[in-house]
Amino acid sequence: MRQETLRRFISFGLLVLLVIIFSVTTDSFLNWGNINTLLRECSVTGILAIGVTMAIITGGNDLSCGHLMGTVCMLFSFLYYYTGMSLLMILALTLLLALMGGLLNGFSVAVLQIPDFIATLSSQFIFAGLTYIFAIRNEYGSITQAQINNPTITALGGQIGKNGPYFVTIAFFVMAAIAQFFLKKTKRGTYIYAMGANRKSAEYSGVSFVKTKITAFVISGFCAFVAAMFTLGRLHTAEVATGQTLALQAISATVIGGAAFTGGRGDMVGTTIGVLFMQVLRNGMRKYGFTTQVVAVVSGIVIVLVLVFDAYYNEFMQKRIKRAAAAAREKKAVSANG
Amino acid sequence: MAEKDLLFEMREIEKVFAHVHALDHVNFNVRRGEVHALLGENGAGKSTLIKILTGVYPKDGGQIFMDGKEVEISSRESAAALGIACIFQELSLVPTLSVYQNVMLGKEIAKFGIVNAKQERKQIQDLIDHYGFPVGANDIVETLSVAQMQMVEILKALATDAKLIIMDEPTASLSSRESELLYKIIHQLRERDVSIIYISHRLEEVFNLSDRITILRDGKNAGLVEKEHIVPSEIIKMMIGKEVSEATASRELKTSDAEPVLTVKHLTRLGAYNDVSFEVKRGEVVVLTGLVGSGRTEIVRTVYGADPYDSGEILIEGKPYQPKISRSVATGFGLIPEDRRTQGFSPLLSVTGNVAVTNYDKLSKSGFVNKANENTLGHEAVRLVDLRPPNPDVQVGNLSGGNQQKAVLGKWLTRDLKIMLIDEPTVGIDIGAKDEIYEIIERLSADGVAVLMVSSDIAEVLRVAHRILVMRGGKITKEFNNGVATQEDILMASSGFAAEEGKEADA
Repeated sequence: MRQETLRRFISFGLLVLLVIIFSVTTDSFLNWGNINTLLRECSVTGILAIGVTMAIITGGNDLSCGHLMGTVCMLFSFLYYYTGMSLLMILALTLLLALMGGLLNGFSVAVLQIPDFIATLSSQFIFAGLTYIFAIRNEYGSITQAQINNPTITALGGQIGKNGPYFVTIAFFVMAAIAQFFLKKTKRGTYIYAMGANRKSAEYSGVSFVKTKITAFVISGFCAFVAAMFTLGRLHTAEVATGQTLALQAISATVIGGAAFTGGRGDMVGTTIGVLFMQVLRNGMRKYGFTTQVVAVVSGIVIVLVLVFDAYYNEFMQKRIKRAAAAAREKKAVSANG
Repeated sequence: MAEKDLLFEMREIEKVFAHVHALDHVNFNVRRGEVHALLGENGAGKSTLIKILTGVYPKDGGQIFMDGKEVEISSRESAAALGIACIFQELSLVPTLSVYQNVMLGKEIAKFGIVNAKQERKQIQDLIDHYGFPVGANDIVETLSVAQMQMVEILKALATDAKLIIMDEPTASLSSRESELLYKIIHQLRERDVSIIYISHRLEEVFNLSDRITILRDGKNAGLVEKEHIVPSEIIKMMIGKEVSEATASRELKTSDAEPVLTVKHLTRLGAYNDVSFEVKRGEVVVLTGLVGSGRTEIVRTVYGADPYDSGEILIEGKPYQPKISRSVATGFGLIPEDRRTQGFSPLLSVTGNVAVTNYDKLSKSGFVNKANENTLGHEAVRLVDLRPPNPDVQVGNLSGGNQQKAVLGKWLTRDLKIMLIDEPTVGIDIGAKDEIYEIIERLSADGVAVLMVSSDIAEVLRVAHRILVMRGGKITKEFNNGVATQEDILMASSGFAAEEGKEADA
């Protein structure tokens, strides 16, 4: 079986196992209400993880997507509070900001040739600073919050019918499906894999490093915009700290889903499994009565365990492939001589 | 042969690197649908010529013609546009994509950016079936064997309608069965009027495959031989450049009855080397030679503890030994690794800093380092290897290649050594420094250190070895005591071409 297919089964199996354990050992896990909440909780992270997955497959990373999302939220609230702009105008400007943010990352990585990690770490600071600049202030200059009650935006926080899935969940799954199609079926998607797995070979075949990197980061910027709109729809306000921990959550979910930091590996199915896995773990542990702090510690340990497993697994599979090839050759040599 | 049959011609090509004539008025041409081999020892100029023809290096003089028209090859792209493709030694495929995705990379069949996978797959599968390659269009490249990956490389070339395919050591990592398949494919390509430039150290296959052979020596044309006139011993003479090379003065080991320091018995590592046995005595220099990929480096790495092995036994002074790097260093091993830049030294540290790394067992006391002792040791190392400049504080990365290697030697010479493992010590080092390194090796041997060395440079092998073990396909196939072997003997043995059979094979 293909290395990645097997890896997929393992992460999916772990997710199923976790669901079964929590369903059996707690009363409050397996019911639609809880599942629906759980899906809602992880969807914003999931939407950001789409962009992160793109960046990681190109062999890079995006540490800034959560901060960019926060900045977009804040700009929305700024424009909404201080200007009388129409919703359409505000949406256009915030979308522009999000895409420019992605473009900035792509530009520093592809044109200025700064390693992704450093480039997106620096843009984190830029976005955090912008968030403070856009922050709503009272007459004494202190930061305060503005209520956003535009009906279109608040509607984004809702759900289908009374008990149906939340719009944010639907958006996450639809976007993940589109992203999967993009990665697997389009030219640009193929280039993203090619660039991450073997940059030289891709470039020799005429694939542009600059275009490919910028594509990945602009997609990540777009994801930050969508995530921001749903966050506003739910919270009805923007805070300066909004989104700041989300990038790391998105990255861990992506990695649990089987994407490799070395590039060329991973997809949206894996990332979606990773996102769900982390959320099920968090949700189920809370059902056991663990505090948020303990849940955080356990989540961290789980990520480390998965990464350790990945390293061993990859090495093991590589060896297996090599040994199989060597054994086949020995066999051939014997049959040829004998 | 009429001029119109020529597909490609290089006239009076010149290339100069830092006052060294890497190519000195070299002429080379390829006919349509011909397999033309390029032969020469390491450093003869083969790879420089290929790099000019694939647009990696610009030429410093001469002309290139394609289909009778003069062309400029200024980049890889312009070479590709002329129909020149290269199958690289280090494969350049995308491991996580499928065969058809690799072949079509950069030239996808797509509408609105959406790839028509069905059509691509069919197109590539047709191409595969046409040539009978044992791969599927849907296979993921990383699951393929090296031979199959090579076929994907060839497919990539064919998909661009290449007229001239360069194969650089294509069989270096193939089994004999896989090589046979490659030969078959080469014949098919030739029938379809594709020309092939073939580079290989395996003389037997070169003689069997080629329509013509161009021999280079020291950057100059040394011969052009048509298939009908191939005489192996003549061609080897053209490569070596002497009428008859003599066995060098015997380097007899005075203490030939000395006790063995390193004994290797039936050592096997699947896919690398198989059932290898030999011993190295006190003060003896044993050289493993043969082609790259014959398992030499892997043996040395195993003995040092850097690579595992599957079966067999290693004895040090008669006692069973479990290789592990830390234990090896404590036991008195030294290692000059194959690639000094990545494995031999830390470029940002000074000579002293590099020397100290292997000597902290002596230099540190309860975790604290005595800087004065460290400096003394650095000065000692500089003196032992005659480093230039004789300054232990200079960063190793800033030294010349030869002096970098001396610094690597210095890391070990300051210790009480039992066994020195040396892998290709003089690659990329100028002649003067080479001699100094040989002298250091001779001094080690005189001091009673057992030296196990890997080298592809035959002149070097004959210079330093007491005993020569020739490896081929993971096995030791021939053993020479120095003083007996000539360059031809070793070249023939390593290319799998026994000297006495040479002429018969030709007949």
